[in-house]
Formats: sequence, C-alpha cells, structure tokens
Amino acid sequence: MDVLRLKDSFAKIALHGDEVPLFFYSDLFIKHPEVRDLFPISMKAQRDHLVGALGQIVGQVDRVDDLTLFLQGLGRDHRKFGALAEHYDVVGDSLLATLAHFAGDTWTPELASDWRDAYSLVASVMITAAKQDEATRPAFWQGTVVSCERKAFDVSVLRVRPEPRLDFVPGQSVAIESPQRPRLWRYYSIANAPREDGTLEFHVRLIDGGAVSMALTCGQAAGGSLRLGPPVGVLTLDTSSRRDILMVAGSTGLAPLKALTEQVASMPRPPKVHLFCCARTADGLYDLPSLDNMATQHRWLTVVPTVTSDHAFKGETGSVPDVILRSGSWSGHDAYLAGPTEMVRETSARLTSAGTPRDQIHIEDFGWSEP
Amino acid sequence: MTVAWQDEQKRLTPEDLQAVTFPLSRLGRRGYDEDHVRTFLQDVERELVTLLNEKVSLWNEVERLRRRIMGTKSSGDGVLFGREDAHIHAVRILSSAQLTADRYVADAQAYSHRLTEEARTRRDEILSEAQQHADMVLEEASSRAREAALATLNAPPVPPQMEADRSALKAELAYLRTFGEVYRTHLRAYTEGMLRSIAEWERNEAGAIQQASAETGRSAGGAIKRSR
Repeated sequence: MDVLRLKDSFAKIALHGDEVPLFFYSDLFIKHPEVRDLFPISMKAQRDHLVGALGQIVGQVDRVDDLTLFLQGLGRDHRKFGALAEHYDVVGDSLLATLAHFAGDTWTPELASDWRDAYSLVASVMITAAKQDEATRPAFWQGTVVSCERKAFDVSVLRVRPEPRLDFVPGQSVAIESPQRPRLWRYYSIANAPREDGTLEFHVRLIDGGAVSMALTCGQAAGGSLRLGPPVGVLTLDTSSRRDILMVAGSTGLAPLKALTEQVASMPRPPKVHLFCCARTADGLYDLPSLDNMATQHRWLTVVPTVTSDHAFKGETGSVPDVILRSGSWSGHDAYLAGPTEMVRETSARLTSAGTPRDQIHIEDFGWSEP
Repeated sequence: MTVAWQDEQKRLTPEDLQAVTFPLSRLGRRGYDEDHVRTFLQDVERELVTLLNEKVSLWNEVERLRRRIMGTKSSGDGVLFGREDAHIHAVRILSSAQLTADRYVADAQAYSHRLTEEARTRRDEILSEAQQHADMVLEEASSRAREAALATLNAPPVPPQMEADRSALKAELAYLRTFGEVYRTHLRAYTEGMLRSIAEWERNEAGAIQQASAETGRSAGGAIKRSR
C-alpha cells in the first residue's frame, strides 16, 4: 500500500466537498435500499461525520496504534446504530465507487487496490472490536420512561428504566435516541449512582431548536420508550484519593456531579464535598430543593447556590471562578467540573493558576466519537 | 439472374428489384410472362419501401421515448445511455432529493429555534415586568405604612379622620394584595398556556415528521424500482 499515493488522492477528492459524501450515500442507498433505514431523515450532519472520520483515518493511516484505538471505538459505537458485519462490504463497494467517480481519469488499478486494502484493514478492525463488544453487552438498551418532571422553565428530569439492567460508573453518560427523532442520538449524563431498581435519571435542558432535547422534554409521558447506548465517559470519582472534593456544576452539568455526590454518600468515611451549583438566574437552580435535602442529611456536604447574572439573588453572585476563588482555597482538593464548555474551561484555568495541580482537576473528555 | 444483393454483405433494396434482369428462356421453351414478373416485382418493391419507412419511423419513436425517459440530454446522434450512466443519473436524483429533505429539516429546526427563543425572551420580559411592578407595589405600600406610622407619632391629638385614613389605607393594602395575586394568576396562566402550545406544536411536528418520513420511504422505494 502506497500511503503517500493514498493521501494525495484523498486530498484531491476532498476538494469536491459535500458532493463526495452525497454521492457516497446515494450510491449506497440505491444499491442497498435497506441500509437507508439506519440513518436519520436529514443527512447533513451524517455527511460531515463521514468526511471527518475519513479525514482522520487517512491522516493517521501511517500511525497504526492511534488509528486502531480510534477505529475500535468507532466499531463499538456503530453497534447501537444497527451496523452489522455484512454492512461493511456494501459500504466498502460504495466508497470505492465514490472515490473512482471523483478521481476520474486519475483512478488507476494500483490506486484502487491501495484503497481496497486500506478499507479492508479499517473494516476488519471495526468488525473485530464490535464482535468483542457484542460478547459483553447489548448493542443498546430499551428504556421505559418512568416519569418526566418539569423542574424549571426549560429543564425536565427524566426517569428511565433500562432493560436489561445497565451497569455504569457514577459520572458516566449514555447516548439516548427518542422514537420521535429516529436515528438521532445525544449524550446525557446519568444523574444518580446505581440504584436497586436500576432506574436512571437524566437532566434534560430544552435547547432552542434542539431536535432531541425537545422530544425528550416536551414529548415524554410515563410509559414512553427510548433507546440507550452503552455508558461512556471519564468524569468518575478518584476513589484512591483522600483529598476533600470541590464540585462545580453549571446548569445541567449538575447531573454527573449529583451522581458522584451519591457515590460519596455511600463511602464509609466520606470526604468533605463543596458543591457550587451555578446558573445564570435563580430559576435555573432547578434542583436546589433536592440538593438542600442531601446537605441536611450529610454533614460533609456543603451546597453553594451561585447565580451569575442576577444581582438581586440572595446568595453568591458573580462569575463562577470569581465566586469559587473568593470562597476558599482549593489547592488541596480534587476538583470535578461539569457544565457549559466555556465555564468549565475558565474555571479549570483559574483553579490551575491558583495552585490546584492539573491532575487533580477532573473534567469530561468529549473525545468519544459522536454519532 | 444477375442480382446485386446476392452479395452476402448487402441487403435487398427496392432499387435492386428495379434493376433485376432475368435472362430470356430459350426459344421454344416455356417461360414466365415478363409483364407478370414485372408487376409482381413492383408490388414487392412497394412493400419493401413501406416496411423500410415504417422501420425508420419506429426507430425514431424508440429514440424519442428513450430520450424522454433519460430526461434532459437530447442526443440527436442516437447515443445510448449505458447502465453506468443510468446509475449516475439515479445517484444524482437521489442526492438532490436528499438535499431537499435536509433543507426542510433545517428550516423546521430554524423555525423552532426562533419560536422557542422568542418565547423565552417574552417570558423573561413578562417576569421582569411583573417583578418590577411587584417591587413598586411593595415599595409604595411600605412608604405609606411609614408615613402612617410617622403621622401617628407626630400628631398627639388624634384627628377624627385618622381612623378613616387608617381604614382607607387598609382597604388600599387589601386592594394591592388582591391586585398582586390576580396579576400573578394571570402570569401563571399565560406562561402555562405558552408551555401547552409548545407541547401541542411539538406533538403536531412529531406527527408530521413521522408522516413525512413514511412518505419519503414510499417515494424512495418507487424511485429505486424505476432505476433498475
């Protein structure tokens, strides 16, 4: 396989932009109409994902270790979309047809065999990872909505019972698909530690124009069904640490941190936990009653409601990092941050410069591939 | 008989029939009547001309229909669409259908984005107006209460209308309290109404999308059958 020739031909083909994935999917669906069902109605995001993944694969084709990790994740991820081993062949055929179409006169038998070799390598890594995953867990869990409670103007708490039982570590997330938005998966953090009855709670904020969040907040009644993907994520409790804990939750970023707090509550000797619960305005503090309840039960837990842009609020007000840094010294704490990207980044930077070592700051790594 | 079309490469044409000559039979032997032969050949020639004309017009008809099926290209030279071209054509048709679907979804999403954004802004406005109003009412009530208290302190001789003032103030306070309550109820009803209509719209949209996706599925199936 001539790696340079491969990269060069991809760079030229990629100049055709959106035409390339558009041709690919149309070719695939005409040759195999049954595959269309595995994709959402709008294919816009799908085409961008395809080009992104192809770019990443071609870019790393000579760094086998990184590429293998990426592909294994991709292979496991595709199980919940309904991808089967036999789909890889038909996808490969359409991919080659697409490349040949856009390469035009520059398409040679040698180039074709380079691409065929590269693709079968990619497919075999993905298929193997999916097969291994299949031995340990289902492709997705069927979830039944137990309740959907509106907590604030734009936040609902969804309680779901997965079938079979879904094992996870507090702080992890799962992708959710609503039957009202077929084939659109979005990640949500589980807001509780594992329970006897196996139910999971999700804090869903209604995003303006958000396709899935609207289906999950407005369209849910008890008994409704959802599909859940396998648990992912690294925002989990460092149980080997004996340090006290600082938690900073922005909006529904509270979900994973609430799960961690529940986990701390089950420890024989819990560390002190300072939980800053932050929102833009007072009515964004949608879960305060339940947090206050926990704080009265557990003496190790302090909940600090913080509001960033409502100065009439009778509590902490101001920017999140300002409030946190003026409330104490956190260099000896483990910090767990979750919420809007900007808030998390800023808080993490300010904590670091105020002396909290980087490896004591835990944030979610969104490195897993989105569907 | 000397006939050009005996050559294997050539087909029989009406001209061949005209040019054909038959050697005369030897004297004293019986032969065909030359006139009869001529007449017959003329009939054959006419028939052949008709057949050839029919063939040409049928071929043109076939070409015309083929062009119509294949769409735009008006290839007067009679170039045939191969299987390859037909597939590329189908890919293009499906691609443009997909782009149309993508646009519909994007438009719907943009619309829903605008709608919820407006609802959110409107709600914030109503809330802050109500808050301001409530603050004003409270402020006014407390300043009146202060005035009343001061008046009681500063005026040792109790004027007869003081009692009346106090009861007027009480009535005013009761009115303000009721007003505040009514306002809150209205606000609550308005907000709930708005949430209900969002939910209603959400249900409608879900139904429409399901229907649309069912229709998309049907028409996609049809297109595929035709292309094969």
